[in-house]
Amino acid sequence: MVQDVHGGNIVEGTYAGERGPLFRLAVVTALLSVVTLGIYRFWAKTRIRRYIWSSVSGGRDAFEYTGTGMEKLLGFLVAIVVLAVYLGIVQMILFYFGLTLFTEPQTPEQMLMQMAAIYITVLAVVPLIFFAQYRARRYKLARTRWRGVRFGMEKGGWGYALRAMGHWVLTLLTLGILLPRQTFRLEKYMTDRSWYGNAQFHQQGRWTGLYPAARHLFLAIAILLGGELVAVIADSAVLAGTVAVVGSVWFMIGIVSYRVNAFRYLTANKFLDGGIGFEAQPETVNVVSTVLLGGLMVGVLSALIFGGLGLAVVAVMAPASMMGEGAVFLGGLVVAGLYILALAVSGSLVLVWIIQPVIDHVAGTFIVHNAQGLNTIRQRAHDSGADAEGFADALDVGGAI
Amino acid sequence: MAGVAGVYFDGVTAGRHGVEVVLDEAGGALVFDGPTLEEGPLRWPLVRLRRLSDQARDSGLTLTLHADTEDESPRDPARLRVNEPGMTARLRDICPDLDRRDVQKGTYRKLALRAGLAVVAVVLMLFVILPRMADTLATLIPVEREIAFGKTVVAQMERALGAADMGALRCTGPEGRAALDAMLTRLSGGKALQYDLEVQVFDHKMVNAFAAPGGQIVVMRGLLDTATGPDAVASVLAHEIGHVEERDATRHALRAAGSAGLLSMVLGDVTGGTLAVFLGERLIQSGYTREAEMRADRFALDMLNDAEVNSEGMAAFFDHLHEMAGGRGHLAEYFSTHPASETRAEQARANAEAQEGTRPVLSEAEWQALKGICG
Repeated sequence: MVQDVHGGNIVEGTYAGERGPLFRLAVVTALLSVVTLGIYRFWAKTRIRRYIWSSVSGGRDAFEYTGTGMEKLLGFLVAIVVLAVYLGIVQMILFYFGLTLFTEPQTPEQMLMQMAAIYITVLAVVPLIFFAQYRARRYKLARTRWRGVRFGMEKGGWGYALRAMGHWVLTLLTLGILLPRQTFRLEKYMTDRSWYGNAQFHQQGRWTGLYPAARHLFLAIAILLGGELVAVIADSAVLAGTVAVVGSVWFMIGIVSYRVNAFRYLTANKFLDGGIGFEAQPETVNVVSTVLLGGLMVGVLSALIFGGLGLAVVAVMAPASMMGEGAVFLGGLVVAGLYILALAVSGSLVLVWIIQPVIDHVAGTFIVHNAQGLNTIRQRAHDSGADAEGFADALDVGGAI
Repeated sequence: MAGVAGVYFDGVTAGRHGVEVVLDEAGGALVFDGPTLEEGPLRWPLVRLRRLSDQARDSGLTLTLHADTEDESPRDPARLRVNEPGMTARLRDICPDLDRRDVQKGTYRKLALRAGLAVVAVVLMLFVILPRMADTLATLIPVEREIAFGKTVVAQMERALGAADMGALRCTGPEGRAALDAMLTRLSGGKALQYDLEVQVFDHKMVNAFAAPGGQIVVMRGLLDTATGPDAVASVLAHEIGHVEERDATRHALRAAGSAGLLSMVLGDVTGGTLAVFLGERLIQSGYTREAEMRADRFALDMLNDAEVNSEGMAAFFDHLHEMAGGRGHLAEYFSTHPASETRAEQARANAEAQEGTRPVLSEAEWQALKGICG
């Protein structure tokens, strides 16, 4: 173990994943998912997680993901039964109440607003989305091991959903000013229920400590609001357009900057078992440039792939159309197959060129302080995981991995 | 045989144990020991050895044992890491079940049970519970709300068809309007309808007519252009009035609201999921409308009979539509929201043969005025 400046032991994070193997894994599993009408996607996700988890090391020891595709499928089926009944009934009733709000439209704007009222049905899903987010994180932690010892998280999905909705309402009402409070409190709720073996995590720090992280976000909003106000007063379309472009770009960078810096602050204020501390120093510049360059790469490669697909369509369909209906049908099948392959490849490019490099960067800056305390941590009991993020999958919550 | 270096995690604590690993092929076991292991040398039987798959550093092996545990997989929580190429290669050769994927007992029974339950739940919801609920809710909604909703739907439709302002597509020729009103009066013939009908003609080339909730009916100019005569238009109107009286549009909207989320959830994650949702919804909706269309046709024929309008006009129009569609195959028919025009034509013709004392629904002058309603 390495010593840090204060004499405590440290464990440093590293990432060993490579583009080639992950890309092959992603394409193969994506194709299998299509061939099995989506059923293999549970195994696809499992295998990709196994690869990424095993790429991350703390010191010399890799993480392990022990989730299985089968338990994800079983959990998804449970979620389907619950959601089929819940969504069907609640969405129809909400729609009915949406209808009772209708009045005769006098202007196109009114008409559009009333049509928007139909989307009231989305409300039915909101609490479930937060519930699913918590359950998905709990499941992921319960299936993560390091040095043979399980991570874990206590029950608390509904408590989280309730708080998340409350915080969102507050944040929206205050026009985003209370966003740091929301971020901090929700992260604290989850962290304080997380465990590594028999050792509990604690989130310390204060929610006001996240304001420096949000400075670019607020600055972007100030530019947008202030700039547009000036533009309106000066009656300048050029100024309005410039401000809109600059402000939006700044805003998007502000989002990344907020997430990166909030992560740094929250990590630095997390403690395990009292004394074990953490540190992560991801850089906004690095993350933004990774996303931009990776995005460019994915864009160019996808364009080439779909351009090639277009040529292939012509090459297959032109002769097929001369040969009668059967050949056209077969040609159509070939084209459909190529299309699916192209989709699988471009989806995998995102994983390999954007998601993995970001994980690589973050893992590489991760440090555990006072790591000697880790050695005495003991195993925790298995968590059956109930729906194994089935709700998250059914509701399409929670991204690529 | 000389041992190689390995790393062992006992699955009980997070301590890291450096060990010396010896492959005892004769004894069929992997034997390892280290200074920090309290329990002395450990023997892992080769037949129970499993390796972790899809690992990033695939030069070495991370080993575990098959064991009856309550875990997500039947595996012992202990792990042994061996990187030495000679031993990993030999282990890959001689361990029979290194890559076996074991599942917990009773998994397949559980899978069959839950899959069955999920299918039953979805089918019951889509085809029994949601349609019944939609029927009930459609009768509960206050009529004035339904009318407001219908007007919004018509306005939305107008917008979708390319109108810049509300009412921009509406045809308002006064003589045509008078002819249309005359046709409506003749059809309803003093019969009390549940809704006050509001019939619009839209200046659009589409050959179609719609019934929106709350008595709103829209006829497209294309239908007037294509129609074989005023009797045909009257039959289309009667058909749409049938939809109005049955509150079909409201029911469809309610049912779609209930089933849309459900369908996208079940089918949504497959690549190209949106298409799957669209097709799925279409299949359900067309099954529903076929029944509703049949009812509306029956209603239309009764209405024509009461109003003494010859249903031969309806038959001729359906024949015409059928020719225009080019007599396409059964797949297209199934996916379309309207039943086969041929069958409907026959039904109308059979009805016409039994009709007596019919008279034209509009005079020739009125018919020309209606055709010219859009100016």
